[in-house]
Amino acid sequence: MIWLKCKNWIEERYDIAELKKLAKSKLVPQHCYDFLYYTGGITLFLFILQFITGMLLVFYYIPHVDFAYESIIDIVTKINMGWFFRAFHHWGAQLCIVFVFIHLFGTLLTKSYRKPREFIWVTGFILLVISIFFGLSGYLMLWDERAFAAVRVATGGAGNLPVVGSFIKIFLRGGTDVTGDTLIRFYAFHVAILPVLSLLLIGLHLLFVQYHGMSVPVSLEKKDNKGEPFFPNVFYKDMMIWLVVLGIVVTLAILLPPEIGKKANALAPPPEGIKPEWYFLFMLETLKLFPGTIYGFNGETIAIVCVSIGIFFFFLIPFIDRKSNRGERSPIFTIIAIVFLLYFITMTLVGFLS
Amino acid sequence: MKYFTRILFATLTIFAFNSLAFAEEKIPVFPTTPVDVYTIYASLTIFWLAIIGLIVVIKMKLNEIERIQKLGIDREDKEAPLLE
Repeated sequence: MIWLKCKNWIEERYDIAELKKLAKSKLVPQHCYDFLYYTGGITLFLFILQFITGMLLVFYYIPHVDFAYESIIDIVTKINMGWFFRAFHHWGAQLCIVFVFIHLFGTLLTKSYRKPREFIWVTGFILLVISIFFGLSGYLMLWDERAFAAVRVATGGAGNLPVVGSFIKIFLRGGTDVTGDTLIRFYAFHVAILPVLSLLLIGLHLLFVQYHGMSVPVSLEKKDNKGEPFFPNVFYKDMMIWLVVLGIVVTLAILLPPEIGKKANALAPPPEGIKPEWYFLFMLETLKLFPGTIYGFNGETIAIVCVSIGIFFFFLIPFIDRKSNRGERSPIFTIIAIVFLLYFITMTLVGFLS
Repeated sequence: MKYFTRILFATLTIFAFNSLAFAEEKIPVFPTTPVDVYTIYASLTIFWLAIIGLIVVIKMKLNEIERIQKLGIDREDKEAPLLE
């Protein structure tokens, strides 16, 4: 009864029937690669979960160099279900980045970035960068020796970029070295700046997707593709997949809760066998391939420049791939996408196993 | 003999506690009480059962919707006479 009253109350004020009609008229193409459409939905769902668990954790976290580590221990050992929400936030972040990568490479291989969807790619790419920075800034919140060393290496690596490197390094660290100022800065990024930016970009990304509709791969464009209504068909399928993802995150959080190392000490040497988060491993392994000096230039700087050029090229693909924009097949960019993907997987595995 | 045993016991105790003091303390990131562990694993099992149940319900609902869509009875018939 109350439900009906509420429904009537809303329907008197807003044209819900028209919205329902719109949702039903929105068609999602059906083809052999349509499973890739769900990766975007999964990423969105994981982002929502991260926002919720992050809000719960921020009630108890203290962003101060003397109390950050202790507050995490308190969350894990004293707060009711604190250990679970921390582990959930950790695994949610890992899976979120995995699905952002799958979504990105799926878009790249099916050429969904082609005209007129360039801005969907641009907003998605910036969201990937934001997700990685979310990961890095969240990692430092723990303030243990592993996080401390990883952030020192990552920000130091950014400092090797010519011209702007030094500025980026000092801006990120809030000084010349990783200190309490870096923690406060990363905290501000993690809980205020990045969430606002990501909300704006997610909104824009979804708006562009609604405006242009779902893309169909070039090879299947001329075939008669049956469309499936977004509501309720695809929406229900999304719900089923989201439930499974939720189950996986909960299971990982319970079976593999992330460990806490020793408290960070700026004067202590970094622990042996230290590795950054998995999504930075390919970069670390690339740096290892370069010698210390190349024709008198700093090898690390050249490596960072090469990686940056590679990433920038990746970002510009929708504007470079003219054939796809004309609706023709462009096998060169498929090969480039596969090479990028294989390089990323191989170097990450090498970094993981070494 | 009695004193010797006492001294030996005391020495061993001191060494044992000393080694414990130097052992690396691991922060428990998961409840350690057996009853809590049992409750958590039981809850996880129930949670998965609930997820599977919900998926089955949604799938059944989706099948029904698809059947109706195939029959074409979900579409509005524009030529249907209106009852006033």
